[in-house]
Amino acid sequence: MHFSVALKLLWRDWRAGELTLLLVSLIIAVSTVTTITLFVDRLQQALLRESSTFLAADRVISSSHPIADDILIKAGELGLQQAQTLSFLSMVFSDDRAQFTAVKAVDDYYPLRGKLIVSDAPFVRGTPVESGPLPGEIWLESRLLPSLGVDKGDILDIGVASFSIGNVLVKEPDRGSGFNSVGPRVLMNLADVPLTEVVQPGSRLTYRYLFAGEVAALDVFQAWAKPRLGVEARMFGVKEGAAGIGNALDRAERFLLLGGLLGVILAGIAIALAAQRYSLRHYDHVAILKTLGATPAGIDTIFVVIFLILGTLATILGSCIGFVVQMAAVKILEPLIPIELPNPGLRPVVLGLVTGFVCLLSFALPPLLKLRAIVPVRVMRRDLGETGIADRMTYSFAIIGIIGLMWWYSQDLRLTMLIFSGGVAATLVMSVLAYGLLRSGRIFGMQAGSAWRLALAGMQRRGQENVLQILVFGLAIMLLLILYLVRTALVEEWRAQIPENAPNHFAINITPEDVGPIRQLFHENGVASQPFYPMTRGRITSVNGQLSRERDRQREAAADSDGPRESSGRNLTWAADLPADNRIVAGKWWPENYQGPVQVSLEKDLAQSNRLKVGDELVFTIQGRKLAAIVASIRTVAWDNMQPNFYIIFSPGALGDFPSTYMTSFFLEKHEKLFLNTLLNRYPTMTVIEVDALIEQIQRIITQVTLAIELVLVLILVSGGLVLLASIQASMDERLKQHAIIRTLGASQKLVLGSLAIEFGALGFFAGVLATFGSEITVYWLETEIFQLDYKINPELWVLGPLGGMLLIGVVGTLAALKVVRTPPVTVLREL
Amino acid sequence: METIIKTVGLGKTVSTSEGRLTILKGIDLEIKKSESVAIVGASGSGKTTLLSLLAGLDTPTCGEIFLGEYELTDMDEEQRAKVRGQMVGFVFQAFQLLSSLTAIENVMLPAELKGDSRAQEKASEVLRRVGLAHRFSHYPSQLSGGEQQRVAIARAFASTAEVLFADEPTGNLDTATGAHIIDLIFELNEEFGTTLVLVTHDAPLADRCTRSITIDSGELR
Repeated sequence: MHFSVALKLLWRDWRAGELTLLLVSLIIAVSTVTTITLFVDRLQQALLRESSTFLAADRVISSSHPIADDILIKAGELGLQQAQTLSFLSMVFSDDRAQFTAVKAVDDYYPLRGKLIVSDAPFVRGTPVESGPLPGEIWLESRLLPSLGVDKGDILDIGVASFSIGNVLVKEPDRGSGFNSVGPRVLMNLADVPLTEVVQPGSRLTYRYLFAGEVAALDVFQAWAKPRLGVEARMFGVKEGAAGIGNALDRAERFLLLGGLLGVILAGIAIALAAQRYSLRHYDHVAILKTLGATPAGIDTIFVVIFLILGTLATILGSCIGFVVQMAAVKILEPLIPIELPNPGLRPVVLGLVTGFVCLLSFALPPLLKLRAIVPVRVMRRDLGETGIADRMTYSFAIIGIIGLMWWYSQDLRLTMLIFSGGVAATLVMSVLAYGLLRSGRIFGMQAGSAWRLALAGMQRRGQENVLQILVFGLAIMLLLILYLVRTALVEEWRAQIPENAPNHFAINITPEDVGPIRQLFHENGVASQPFYPMTRGRITSVNGQLSRERDRQREAAADSDGPRESSGRNLTWAADLPADNRIVAGKWWPENYQGPVQVSLEKDLAQSNRLKVGDELVFTIQGRKLAAIVASIRTVAWDNMQPNFYIIFSPGALGDFPSTYMTSFFLEKHEKLFLNTLLNRYPTMTVIEVDALIEQIQRIITQVTLAIELVLVLILVSGGLVLLASIQASMDERLKQHAIIRTLGASQKLVLGSLAIEFGALGFFAGVLATFGSEITVYWLETEIFQLDYKINPELWVLGPLGGMLLIGVVGTLAALKVVRTPPVTVLREL
Repeated sequence: METIIKTVGLGKTVSTSEGRLTILKGIDLEIKKSESVAIVGASGSGKTTLLSLLAGLDTPTCGEIFLGEYELTDMDEEQRAKVRGQMVGFVFQAFQLLSSLTAIENVMLPAELKGDSRAQEKASEVLRRVGLAHRFSHYPSQLSGGEQQRVAIARAFASTAEVLFADEPTGNLDTATGAHIIDLIFELNEEFGTTLVLVTHDAPLADRCTRSITIDSGELR
């Protein structure tokens, strides 16, 4: 029976316009959440796919031996695309010259992601092609053509086979950085490798198996295959595979997540406020229903039915609107987003629906359930409202909802609890501050004109409600400021990661006697270069008398094999000064002109994952000889800055007895690339690694990521606006009633509007102060703990926050009141 | 005659910022079926509180209340609501109509809450009886004060209540309209055989009742 009453009440409320604000808030909140969830999901997928071109695949297994067939069969069963490459070092011969090269043999399916770019002549822009060289054909990197004295179409020998030069290779997607890819590139067909007879037992080979496909299938495959790989094989995706981009992607993902989370909270607040207003306006209704015999359980039924109908309607409509808005946004932004967004899957739609419904459940249901506690005697004594018992229950609903959603979004309980407890603490401090600010307004305002007095007296009278309203305004403004500040810090950090004119070429294998002349050549040609670092290969063999291989085995047995291995062969260098982007985290860098016993400085990850500490004695094996060194310092390295970086740096002179080569890096504009020919012709033993294309690619992705987070920022701004509007609306009834009474007593519209403007402006100002304060603290924490950025205080915020808050709330509040202030006061009094 | 309302040692105290305040104390009274009783007294004497206790809208601090066969003091809100729905009707000074419902919908409401399928029929009948045949689909804000009170009376009688509680039913109306409303209440009271308990300041109104109970500072006099 209550069901039909509920339907009738719902229908009659709808007819009377009581539901409009609640329903609109619900729909906008759900659609904002759906839009953001969908958009973030598509962007995340798109960015990941775009970044996959760094690997030419979504997942790669890299191994020094062929891997077991069952792994490839499994990949086939899961519907993954596959390709294979084989890399080795080999001499390439023309008629009269020879060059040591890095050969990569690829099958017909390579690359799975990204494109190969080729041209007819060296050092010019190329065009993309779908697949690699045909059998019998090889493609050469630009600089090999001058150094071998050949052109496209000429014949070259690799091992015992001859090949014609089919194309000049301008770019391969998975060229990668680092020093694994020493030597200029030769690309050939995998089917031709046996003909060359260069691959013999004992050859140093790298097999790469590339996989691409749906995220779910890839995850299943990775989980299945990883434990079945031998020690010599490694499986990775784009984040582990491309250091320069992995970090940026990680942070962008976290930002999008944070954005989505804040969007949900804002939507929740909007819903809560609208539902609260709806519930307040039904206090009298419920009291009357109760006098007429409606039981508390009956009231619950009535409002739960109303809620379910509204909720379902809002969730369905909101999701549809969100879907359409997101599609429209993508359409409008298509020219701006240089990447293709994958089609939205079912998952984000479900995510949006669930988020919407959880929001409703935890934010809209509680104020409605509160109605059951309205005492019927309220029909005679209006001052008797609800009892306080239900409040605790309703708050716990909202708290569980918020925590649940945050946990679901972040997948990190600790982070969730930290943010939540921080939020609670901030709310408490903010309430006390808001109360204090309101009191100070009273003292200050007593001498002011009559609109001022009216406004400030009003604020004082509704003290509790106003503290709550300042909190809501403050919270909304704070969330927006946080997002804006974090975005600004991230973008700045990314721009600084690879500055303009950062070195985009590495030169390695420089003999000590060539260092002087090469430096001279750079100088003459106006090429800016970094310091020359001496470099030699070596490995750690023991730590404090314990064998490193043994220690590595123990680590693997303890399933603690993340991070760099202790006994791997590494490039070693020595330096007097700490490299510019490095930072000491333990111990001390050696003093200038240091000449004592051999010391060594280790990179932080290497030290941490192998439990190496300052003071440990390490023994190195370098070119067959042993060298002992004491760990003097541990330092962080900016791996993504595309500069020469080292895990291990020795004190000056320590490696003086070992033959070594030098390396450096330098910057060349596109049109200056012919300088490479001069350099390579004059010093044929050195190797130049071109990372300009890679840097360009990283910068392109960073631009896209920046654009993406800016879009999300705009969406969240819309949510924030909604909260402000809902909050202003929620408080309007009471204010308007007061002002209608004042107007019947003869006050002019101007005075009433003026006082409302002052009241909202003041609330906005206080909210702005709190928001600024709160966001500085939160941003400090977010940037240092979550985004690993350096925190800077934002002085402009302390002006913008309060003033912006004052203007925003003042203008929106006054505009919202305008229509009703213009209606005759008697109508207002009658309707409220 | 059969007793329909009875109280024994009824008392009500509330906590205020200045300590505990006694509103009612030691009220013993009995009201017979079909009686009409006026509760009179000065402002703040406790009349309205007594009415809300008798009707089961509020709970006493001490004492017992019997309404029909029920003892209200042992009941929780859920049970009291059922009793109200079954046997009590109300007319208030401030009318207390639901603003989002039309006149007929307001009158139908109690019957709807009971799940009565003939709600509309009954409501139309009573609404015609109070002279509002032409006002079925008007909202409260479109009706005059007298008309709103007539809708409220129609609502009270439509639920075929055994006891009608009225709290200053003419308090918001001019003398002439108030007199019409009083006539209507007494007519219907007789017609339906209802017990009437009303709170009033109005001496002529109190005189029309079978008897008056005077409250002074929370006690019966």
